[in-house]
Formats: sequence, C-alpha cells, structure tokens
Amino acid sequence: MKVAMLGWEFPPFISGGLGTHCYELTKKLKKWCEILFFMPKPKGEFSAPHVQIIPVPGGFSGPYLKELEGMVSDGFFSRVKHYNENVIKTALKHSFDIIHCHDWMTITAGVKLKKLTGKPLVFTVHSTEWDRTAGHPWQFIADIERLGLNEADKIITVSNWMKKQLMDRYNVNASKIKVIYNAIDPSRFKAMVEKLGSKVVLFLGRLSIQKGADYFIHAAKKVLDVEPNITFLVGGKGPELKNLIKLTINLGISDKVKFLGYIPDEDLPKLYALADVYVMPSVAEPFGITALESIASGTPLIISKDAGVSEVLQHCLKVDFWDVNEIANKIIGVLEYTGLGEELSKHGLEECSKITWGEVAKKTHDLYSSLAVNT
Amino acid sequence: MVKVCLYFQVHQPERLAGYNVFRRDGKYFDDERNKKIFLKVAKKCYLPTNKLILKLINETKNAFKVSYSLTGIFIDQALKYCPEVIESFKELVKTGCVDLLSETYYHSLAFLMDEREFREQVNLHRTRIKSLFNYEPLVFRNTEAMYNNELARMAEQLGFKGVVAEGWHKYLEWRSPNYIYKPVKSNIRLLLRNYRLSDDIGFRFSLRDWSEFPLTADKYALWLSRVEGTNVNLFIDYETFGEHQWTETGIFEFLKYLPREVLRYPHLNFVRINELLSEEPVGVIDIPDLLSWADIDRDASAWLGNEMQHNAFNKLKELAGLVYSLGNAELIDSWRRLQTSDHFYYMCTKWFADGDVHKYFNAYENPYDAYINYMNILQDLKRLISNKLNARGTRKTTS
Repeated sequence: MKVAMLGWEFPPFISGGLGTHCYELTKKLKKWCEILFFMPKPKGEFSAPHVQIIPVPGGFSGPYLKELEGMVSDGFFSRVKHYNENVIKTALKHSFDIIHCHDWMTITAGVKLKKLTGKPLVFTVHSTEWDRTAGHPWQFIADIERLGLNEADKIITVSNWMKKQLMDRYNVNASKIKVIYNAIDPSRFKAMVEKLGSKVVLFLGRLSIQKGADYFIHAAKKVLDVEPNITFLVGGKGPELKNLIKLTINLGISDKVKFLGYIPDEDLPKLYALADVYVMPSVAEPFGITALESIASGTPLIISKDAGVSEVLQHCLKVDFWDVNEIANKIIGVLEYTGLGEELSKHGLEECSKITWGEVAKKTHDLYSSLAVNT
Repeated sequence: MVKVCLYFQVHQPERLAGYNVFRRDGKYFDDERNKKIFLKVAKKCYLPTNKLILKLINETKNAFKVSYSLTGIFIDQALKYCPEVIESFKELVKTGCVDLLSETYYHSLAFLMDEREFREQVNLHRTRIKSLFNYEPLVFRNTEAMYNNELARMAEQLGFKGVVAEGWHKYLEWRSPNYIYKPVKSNIRLLLRNYRLSDDIGFRFSLRDWSEFPLTADKYALWLSRVEGTNVNLFIDYETFGEHQWTETGIFEFLKYLPREVLRYPHLNFVRINELLSEEPVGVIDIPDLLSWADIDRDASAWLGNEMQHNAFNKLKELAGLVYSLGNAELIDSWRRLQTSDHFYYMCTKWFADGDVHKYFNAYENPYDAYINYMNILQDLKRLISNKLNARGTRKTTS
C-alpha cells in the first residue's frame, strides 16, 4: 500500500508535536506501507531512512504556531496557499492508494487530490482553529477545516475530547471519526540530573490562555502559603508571559516562580528529571504529549481532567483546571506524603510503556486497509 | 451429621470527608454521604434480609440457624441513621437461633499495630454487644478474617473459645476445611471457611458465564449433602443479599428456599457458630504468616501492600503515643475511626489482577486521591492533638 502523506514539518525541521508525530508514525508504518511524505521544501538538505521525503516548493515557513502568534502575516497564509497548489502538481506525478493529511495547512490539497484521483482521504486533526485561538477562530481557517472534515472519508483525532469538539463545533458524524491516541518514544526520557535544594514544581507549554499557566501560578501561591520552600518553574514562551509575570508580582511570589523561556527539545528530559511533579492545568488540550514525557521521565503528573491524554492515563492525579485549591492540595500531597510520588512514578512508567507508536501505526494502517477495501 | 454453619459479616465503612490540606475544621467524616449509603443498604439488604431470616427461623420451627458479626462502625451508623435495623437484629438474637461473633470495634487493623490497642478495641466491641443484645460472643473474627498463630493466641487470652480463618489450601494442603482444627500453641477451636462453597453464593451466584449458573437452592443443597466432614462453614458478606447480588438476580429466592432444601437431607442440619465449639479438633494447623479472606493473594496486601499504605499506617501508629497521653475521648475515637481497614483498602494499587472488585468498592477515583485525603486528615488530627497538648502544657506552667 502506498500512502501520500501531506505534512507541514518533519525532523529536524520542526517546531512542535506535529513533526514528531509524523516522524514516529511513518517510522512504524514502514512495516506495512510505502510512504511518500510531502512537505514544504526546507532551507537545508535532509533525508529520512524510512520515508521518501518529497519537498514541495513553497518555502519552509517554520512552525505555524509561531507564525500565528502576535501579528499574523499575510505571508504565512499565502505560503500555505502556495504550498497546497504545489503539492497537488507534485503529487499527481506519483501514484498512491491513500491520501493522508495532517491539520488544516495541508487539507485543501488533500481534498483536491481526492477529487482528481478518486483515492480515499484520511484527515488527522491534531488541533482545531478553536483550540488554538481560545475560541476566537479565524473564520477562513475554520472554513478550511470544515471543508476537510466534510470531504475526508475518515478522520483521525488524538482523543475523544477532540472527537467531541469536531462533533459539537463542526457537526461531524461520530461514525466517521476514529480516535487514535498519540504516543511517545520513552527512550529519550532517561536523563539524570542533580536535584535542586528545594522541591521543584514544573509547568511546561506555550504561555497561552488554553494552557492554563495562570491557574498554575494561583496554585503556586496557595502552596507557598503552606510550604514556602518550594520552587516553581515555568518553561515555554507565548503571549501570556507578561501577564503571568505581573501575576507573580501581584501575588508576592515572584522570587519563587522562575520563567525559563523556550526550552529546546534536547533540554526537556533534564527539566522533567529535575522536577518533583509536573502540572498540566490545560483549559483546552487535544492531547498533551508532555504528560507522557513527564511520566516516561518518572516524574509524577497532575493533569487537567479535560486534557485528551487524561483518557489514556490512570496512574496520575486529575484535577479540574480551575480548581486551584485542589491543584495546590495535590501538589502538596505529592511533595509531602512519602510513597505517593514513588507509587505514581512506578505505575505510571508501567502504564506509559504500553502507549507506543507501534500501536498508533497499527491502528492507522487498519484504518487505511478498511478504506482501501471499500474502494 | 454435617453441621451447616452460616455466618454473615455485617459491616459498613464510614466514608471520609473530602478534606484538602487547607481544611482545619476537624470534621473528618462525610455524614451526609454515610447516611445516604446506610439508608440505601438498609433498604436493599439489612431490613429485607433480616425479615426473611426471621421468617425462615419461625417457619422451620428454629431449625434454621445463622450467626452474625456486626462491626462497631456498623452499629454506630445503624443507631444514628436507621435504628430499626438494630431492632430487627435484636429480634433475631432473641430467637435463640442466632449467635454473634466478636471483633475489633472499628473493623480495624489494630492487630497489626499494637497489642494494647487491639485488646482495647475488642473489649469495646464486647461491651457494646453485651449492652445492646445482652449477648457474650465466644468466637472471635479478626478484621477481614486476618489470622495467624499469634492472633489465635491473643484470642485465647481474651477468653474466646474459637476463632475464624480462611480455609485456604496453601495452609490446609491435603486437609479439608470441613473439620474442626486447633491452632498451634492454643487450645481454642479453629473454624475454617469453606471458600469454594461460600464464594459460590458470594461471588459467583449471578455470573452468567459460570458453568453452574443459575444457582438454585436445591442444587446448592445437593452440593452440601455431598460434603464430607463434620461441618461446612459458609462465611459470607451480608451485603451479598440485595447489594452485591441485586434482588433481580434471585438471591432472595435462593435464600428463601435454602433452609427447606437443606433440611430435606436428614444428615444435614443448621447450627449457630458456637455449636461448632463442641467438636473435637482433628488436627493442628500452623499458620505463621498473615492469612485473610481477600483477593487472590489471601494476605494483607490489599491493605498494606504499597508504600502509600505502609506510610499511612505508620503515621497512624505514630500518633498512638500522643493520642493516649492526651486522653481526649473524642480525639481517641477519631483516631480509631481512621483505623478502619477500608481507608487502606481504597489506597490499594493492585487493580489489574483482581481490579474490578477494588474499583467497585472504592470511594475515590483512584488510590492516590484516597491517600492524599487520608493523609490530610491524619495530619490535621495530629495538629489538633498537638495543639491541645501544648495548651495543657502552657496551663500547667502558668498555674
């Protein structure tokens, strides 16, 4: 089976989860399928052993989230448009059995290719315009997403949470959606670090409304009222940084909360290892891969009940993101009560080891097969 | 003759209040929830089952006999939320066809904690049973049937004539649970539960994929009639009737027809548990390690199996000194209520092997939440006790 996969980024040219997802997925899919991976032509040369990379003129524009941040440049959208036009031309020179698109930047071309070739279209939705903008979507992007959702033969979402979003906001029929959870490669997260003198509580993620960093800061205040000798680390950058710094000053805890800025990928394992507990109070989180990274690092996890990843994890503490008392209560519990961190870590690692990319690829291939049979 | 001994364990744990680390009000139990649960179970199980058993005793002209162990925690809640449950037990005891067993008042792990505390709790239970039912138990049953040679020794010292344990094949080897034995180094009677026949009712009754489904009273009586031995001990959780096995499963119909089906066999008769004590022991059973009636492991690992449970238990134990030296009745009571085994059961992480049982009975979303909540309460209790001790110290120095 030959798959035309339309992506936006691929290691080493990545900004976030999308590139890693495509890399790991294609690596395991190789067992069953041949993959043609289309992506905007990056500035440097590279190749991947398990997949045929087909660079498409259009110019690699870099991480799209970064582009969307602050001023949205017309340049970005026109590059997306340009890329989609060129993908169609390039792809038509190849033969394939399935078209598989990732997120809205590639779906226009996917829909067109389906019309031109009659091949089935699979659309993986990692996030929607609603999640990325905290409910203030760019209408034309939401329209592109809606078109893709209507035209796709099957839709993959990374959680039931996401599935529900698509049903509620885009009126997609449930039977068309297959949930395939993300996974991680745990071997990356085995860092050893020297611990700090105080206990460390970690937040990691874009500093945007939907990641809930402000709830983290409010919980920090509650914790510090009871246990003053604890350090809170905030990794990541984003539009909320200024507000969050202000908040720590207003709460009188600016000396206890450290903003680390953007964390390069290679430093992540060390940061997880440094932390005694990782808190993810996301307001909206289609999946939340960092939760798995934390567990793979052996670091106990406190997670928003609303995060998609919460659907696959039992051995972690779950909270309502707005319940800062409860977040603080659980932070103190993990830090103060002997045995809790150890049990969470032990059972978490066990649970995490069962969440593999091999499983993701197998389910994806099953989905391809069901479509190929129908055509 | 084969004596059929039915003993029912009657216990209802008290659920703890959701107590976060910031709370200081000292209200550790969720009374509203406990009341709701108690009334529900009273309606589904205690009242209808007691009524039926009384009727069966009368119908069989006292040939049907049963025994009960009522935990102090159960009795307290019954008196508080639904006294007619206690009245119906009184009526049953009055028939003379019902024996009561003794145990730790708080359905606690005191045996594993401290001998003095253990004895104290057994005596509290004795006193309560005496004052409510004018009854003095002869047989002891430790929490969750936790047993070893040492427990037998203590039971004997406390004046009991018999003690209950799981008839687990690991210790019985080739021997049958259907005889009376003697513990090592004690002269009391060891009464062993026939877990296969007990669990046929308690666990398997409504399992549709069980080859014996549906279990009827006549079929079960036939099995009993084939038992070799002097006695068959069917020790069952009382909530089997109407709660674990819902009315719809036919469990009450089963119970209703059981006496008459069993009594069809001339060599079978029902006995109170004290009637087993007259049997001569056929051998000695050596049980050095802790044996319980729970899970596939039949040990204490459901309560003290992981680091959280051990730490919670140690912290609870550490409070003993402070609690005794303060001597405040209310705080001693709170401390003892925190000893109830169920609080530890909720922290159990052994989900995956015999998981669903644990999940069904868990008052929390997961064992970790249970642990945090429990530790918050324990810490607050410690704070309260220390405050009172300090206040007392200050008064003394100023006077």
